Amino acid sequence: MKELINWLADPIRSFPIFTVLFILMMKYYRVVGTKKFAWGFTIISIPVVLWFATDPNFWLIITWPDNIPISILIVAILFFTWFSLYRCAVNDQRLDDGLCPEEALPENREKVWCWPNLVYTELFAIIAGTIFLIVWAIIFKAPLEEPANPTWAPNPAKAPWYFLGLQEMLVYFDPWMAGVVLPGLVVVGLIAIPYIDTNPKGNGYFTYKERPIAIWGFMFGWLVLWIYLIIVGTFLRGPNWTFYGPFEYWDFHKVVSEYNVNLSEFLWVKWLNTSMPSNLIMREMLGIVLTGLYMFVLPPLIAASNFGKSIIEKTGQIRYYIYITLLLVMMSLPIKMVLRWLFSLKYIIALPEWELNL
Amino acid sequence: MSKKLEPGMAYDTKKLNKVFAFLSILFLMTVVWVFLDDFIRPWKAVQLKGNQIKKAKLEKSLAEAQKGLDKDKLAKLETQLAEGKKIVQTRQKEISKVQKKLDAVRVKIKGEVIINGRLNSNVSATGFNYGIAHANHDKSEKELFKKLRKYKKEFAASSDRLKKYKAEEKVHVRAIAALRKEVLENEKGIKDLTSKIELTKLALKKLEINPIFVVRNSPFVDFLDPTLKIQQVVMDNITDDRYFQHVPKVDRCMTCHMFIDKEGYEDQENPYKSHPKLDLMVGRDSKHPMKTYGCTSCHGGEGHRVNDFSAAAHTPRNDEQLQEWIEKYNYHPPHKIAKPMFKVGETEAGCVNCHKEVEFIPGADKVNEGRMAMEKYGCYGCHKIEGWEHKRKPGPSLEKIASKVTKEFFKNWVWEPKRFNKHAMMPSFFGQSNNSEPRFMKKNIAEVNAMAEFIWSKSERYTPFMKYTGGNKDKGKELVSTVGCMGCHGVEGFDEASKKVGAYAGPYLTGTGSKVDADWLVSWLKKPSHYQEDTIMPSFRLSDREVNDITAYLMSLRNKKFEKLKFEPLDGKLRDEMLVTYLSAFDTIAVAKEKLSKMSEREKTLELGYRSVGKYGCYSCHNIDGFEGRTPIGPELTNIGSKPLTQFGFGHEHDVEHSRGGWIRAHLINPKRWDNGADKPFKDLLRMPNLYMTEDEADKITVALLGQVSDYIPLAGVKRLDANEKIANEGMKIVNKYNCVGCHKVDGFRGDIMAMYDDANEAPPMLVDQGHRVQADWFHHFLENVYPIRPWLSLRMPSFNLSNEERNKIVQLFQYKAHQNTFVDHDDVVKWEPGEREGARKLFKSLDCASCHAAGFNNEEPTAPNLYFVKRRLRPTWTEKWLRNPQAIFPETVMPNFWEDGESTDTEVFGGDADKQIKALTKYLYELGTMKLPDSNTKYWSKQ
Repeated sequence: MKELINWLADPIRSFPIFTVLFILMMKYYRVVGTKKFAWGFTIISIPVVLWFATDPNFWLIITWPDNIPISILIVAILFFTWFSLYRCAVNDQRLDDGLCPEEALPENREKVWCWPNLVYTELFAIIAGTIFLIVWAIIFKAPLEEPANPTWAPNPAKAPWYFLGLQEMLVYFDPWMAGVVLPGLVVVGLIAIPYIDTNPKGNGYFTYKERPIAIWGFMFGWLVLWIYLIIVGTFLRGPNWTFYGPFEYWDFHKVVSEYNVNLSEFLWVKWLNTSMPSNLIMREMLGIVLTGLYMFVLPPLIAASNFGKSIIEKTGQIRYYIYITLLLVMMSLPIKMVLRWLFSLKYIIALPEWELNL
Repeated sequence: MSKKLEPGMAYDTKKLNKVFAFLSILFLMTVVWVFLDDFIRPWKAVQLKGNQIKKAKLEKSLAEAQKGLDKDKLAKLETQLAEGKKIVQTRQKEISKVQKKLDAVRVKIKGEVIINGRLNSNVSATGFNYGIAHANHDKSEKELFKKLRKYKKEFAASSDRLKKYKAEEKVHVRAIAALRKEVLENEKGIKDLTSKIELTKLALKKLEINPIFVVRNSPFVDFLDPTLKIQQVVMDNITDDRYFQHVPKVDRCMTCHMFIDKEGYEDQENPYKSHPKLDLMVGRDSKHPMKTYGCTSCHGGEGHRVNDFSAAAHTPRNDEQLQEWIEKYNYHPPHKIAKPMFKVGETEAGCVNCHKEVEFIPGADKVNEGRMAMEKYGCYGCHKIEGWEHKRKPGPSLEKIASKVTKEFFKNWVWEPKRFNKHAMMPSFFGQSNNSEPRFMKKNIAEVNAMAEFIWSKSERYTPFMKYTGGNKDKGKELVSTVGCMGCHGVEGFDEASKKVGAYAGPYLTGTGSKVDADWLVSWLKKPSHYQEDTIMPSFRLSDREVNDITAYLMSLRNKKFEKLKFEPLDGKLRDEMLVTYLSAFDTIAVAKEKLSKMSEREKTLELGYRSVGKYGCYSCHNIDGFEGRTPIGPELTNIGSKPLTQFGFGHEHDVEHSRGGWIRAHLINPKRWDNGADKPFKDLLRMPNLYMTEDEADKITVALLGQVSDYIPLAGVKRLDANEKIANEGMKIVNKYNCVGCHKVDGFRGDIMAMYDDANEAPPMLVDQGHRVQADWFHHFLENVYPIRPWLSLRMPSFNLSNEERNKIVQLFQYKAHQNTFVDHDDVVKWEPGEREGARKLFKSLDCASCHAAGFNNEEPTAPNLYFVKRRLRPTWTEKWLRNPQAIFPETVMPNFWEDGESTDTEVFGGDADKQIKALTKYLYELGTMKLPDSNTKYWSKQ
């Protein structure tokens, strides 16, 4: 059983599994978003987690002081995801029944004083948060280590937990992409959301039915491309950034077989069976063309589809193109991951001469 | 919402207040917790307990002091004091009169000090102003000068007055003391008697837990002057490498190890124990005081970290202690620490860091023994170690091997040396855990065959210069044990004694008859340098008869089983296969095969032989023609103690302790184990041979190697040899090379062969303070022209094949070790005081010197050295020292001590004045040296 879980946890398998689970969750959100489901899930997961924890290797990983926030994060994410889905499900049922959302009921629309209702409770939150942080700091001492030794770096060298998703991206992309362009676009995209998403529905109340595109897009990026990667980076990446199953001993000497090939090498050597052209652009032509198609031809094509038309209708051309560009960039990550696993593809465009790899 | 709320309110304010109160209290509690967490440190509890221990010790010593107090004396003094007080009472009037005068003088002194101080500063200030004015030719110059002179005059007058007053004060004080004499004397007597008790009481008082103690150590206030505090030493001369800069080392170990530098706590448990050998380490007057060298410079570990037990990188000595620590201290092994503490038993490794490039470190027994074992097994042959470069190759030269042994012997020997000689120091390369599969064995056999062919092809011809003419085996056997062979060789037939001596400089002599032929052996014994110019085997100046006798014995030692062994012949196919692997390193297999096809059979065999010698590194230990100047085969060990743990290949051996020491130890016991479970091609199998060493030896070598670290220590912090020590160390290298210490104990170091003798007088002489004993010029001459000094010894000092430089170095070693410069030039004619010579002669008779030192005096067999040679050989100051107390220099000597405790056994001569007697006798001995030895007795000292 443990071997099976170790085997399944490899990103090659766990990423599709996680994606499918995500799709199922979103699709059947009315089933997931019930208290019954929540209780059932909790009751089942407690013994499972306990069983996991009996494994010394797994216990070692989750009790590592650096990793405790991730455990808290997982629990919190589970709860809040379920909670929003639950509220969505309730509201959507009401909307189906021709009622207004719960938040719009007169008793929920009543106005209250800022003091003490807001300020006072915020103070509580501040105090409670401070207490929590202090107690945490006392119980789990900050893991202050030896002075940095340039000749003896820790292995694995891990980023702070909130950056582990980015670090995981480095496995699939050039540092320039994974470290600069993609995170930059994440920030830009998050800032752009209110300007792109002008749909007034769902304002002040939970709903899924009235804004599926926004929710799917965000939740995929958040849960699958960010949280999942953090979990992988924290729990499943050991020395040399090699994958280790949750029950696997972190053997320093573990070796994995990985040999990646560029798209241009596929094209010229494997398919055309000729030498690589010396002209860089010529050499990487296929990658450049494909990327161009993906980034510049795909958006108008989608615009012609029903999906695209509906967005343009609701938001306008400019918003559509910004949205679709951001979405395509975001989707490039899972696409690249899948290509890596299926074909050991290293780079679609490989121009190390210009330090430009995609 | 069952409860009705006020309009505009989402919550009930009272409820909110309650929540607020709850949170506030919780918050307050966490704040208190923060302070407590900061305040309660593990080391405080340790110090509290330590104080209790100290208190108990002090109370004990107080009780003892009180017990040992002379009560009668005290009572007497007290009654005397009371009486004295009464007497003094009668003089009260006088005393108060003088006291009044004294007080008046003291007032004057106080006043004058102020005046004097002011004048002094006036002089300085005006002097400065005047100087400036003078330099600038200012108008005020003259006026200032006048002022300055005035102040100076006043200041001088004031100083004079002050002196006068002080003199007066002294007179009065003395007058009072004289008047109160009876009281003061008795008070002093009492104080002398009880001072220890009083001091102990004072010390005890400091340990009391009273309100002041509580206040000084309570939170918030404890930054002022706590009694429980972190103790530390900061070392300017030893630094910690913080990767971008070196900072002075800070050790706080003594925060918990409170009494580490104090005597009297040897009976305590750690951390309260005193350091062992306080006279060498840690103690204030030792060579390594705590203040200068701290703790971690030797022990390793994180000396500045006192937050908990684990932080200091303590290392448990075994699993048992590990478990104990986990329970007791919640211990976890050090993590990411470059240099965790050495285990108990490995601490000596810390010596090596500062005591570099010396042949042995006095006091570091384990390191010395480890290095000895390294020398024995010849680790330095294959592994470069800085400071070991001067050592000769551990194995014998193979440049003339074809004339020494047969090819068949050579192959069988190389295949498994232990089968021929279980004491063989040549390690085993083949039939080990990683290459005993048949497919590997077959290739190994081909390699050994090829190596033999190659080495034979390179071997020079050698013809022995002597022929064996037959000898007496039993006599030979006796000679082997008595002449001194066993200082370097173990010998079959003397297994018990060989084990005791543990000699390793030469091979264990067993099966010799199956190895070499008799002619070779006689030639070798007669003159070893004839076969090998640079051999360390000395000549024992054996007669032809003796050489033949010894040869007869050694040739009788045969290993019949080994003689019968037939080594499998070379398999040409496997040879070609291996050669293809070699040749295809940079070429394709086809090209390699083509190259091979152009070679003749002989060429192929020699090529594989050449490659194999290189592969197994035979040339690292043996001189082989064609391999001169090749770097040794093994990785360098100079800094192995600093090699990161992650760079040690533990392979699949999970039961090996995961530490540097654990790896090294496991590696020494079986270097092939890392191949376990690895699927390796033949060419990549680990090559380090199996040395079959004992665990004890492996332990010691591990300690010696762990000390080989790359830590930088400022020059001011390391032991630097002074000029004398440097010269002595150079000499020590020669002494070690020729294994002088195999026979002679040099100032307590080694003297292996002495283990054979119950009576140290039968053993080779111990060299104690040898540089002071012998004349340097004589010593140099002696090393070149050895002659027997102690004719009663059956052992012989052999004649070594020393170069002039080497002889000089040996002489200098002893000379500088004893801080003696060159030789003592004494007058040819001894100058006598009147009557002194007669006294000396009388003494010589009455002490009966000639009964043992017979040579030249009578026809007895001498049992002590020839006195006619004293002048040439010995230094006069040493001779006097020796006469005064021979046992102090050589406890086992049979030379009687005639002047025990400075009292002469002869009370007549010079009235029994020991100094005079010794001086006269010494003079007499030096006069003897100028005389000619009577002919009739020469046979004793020239006797071979």
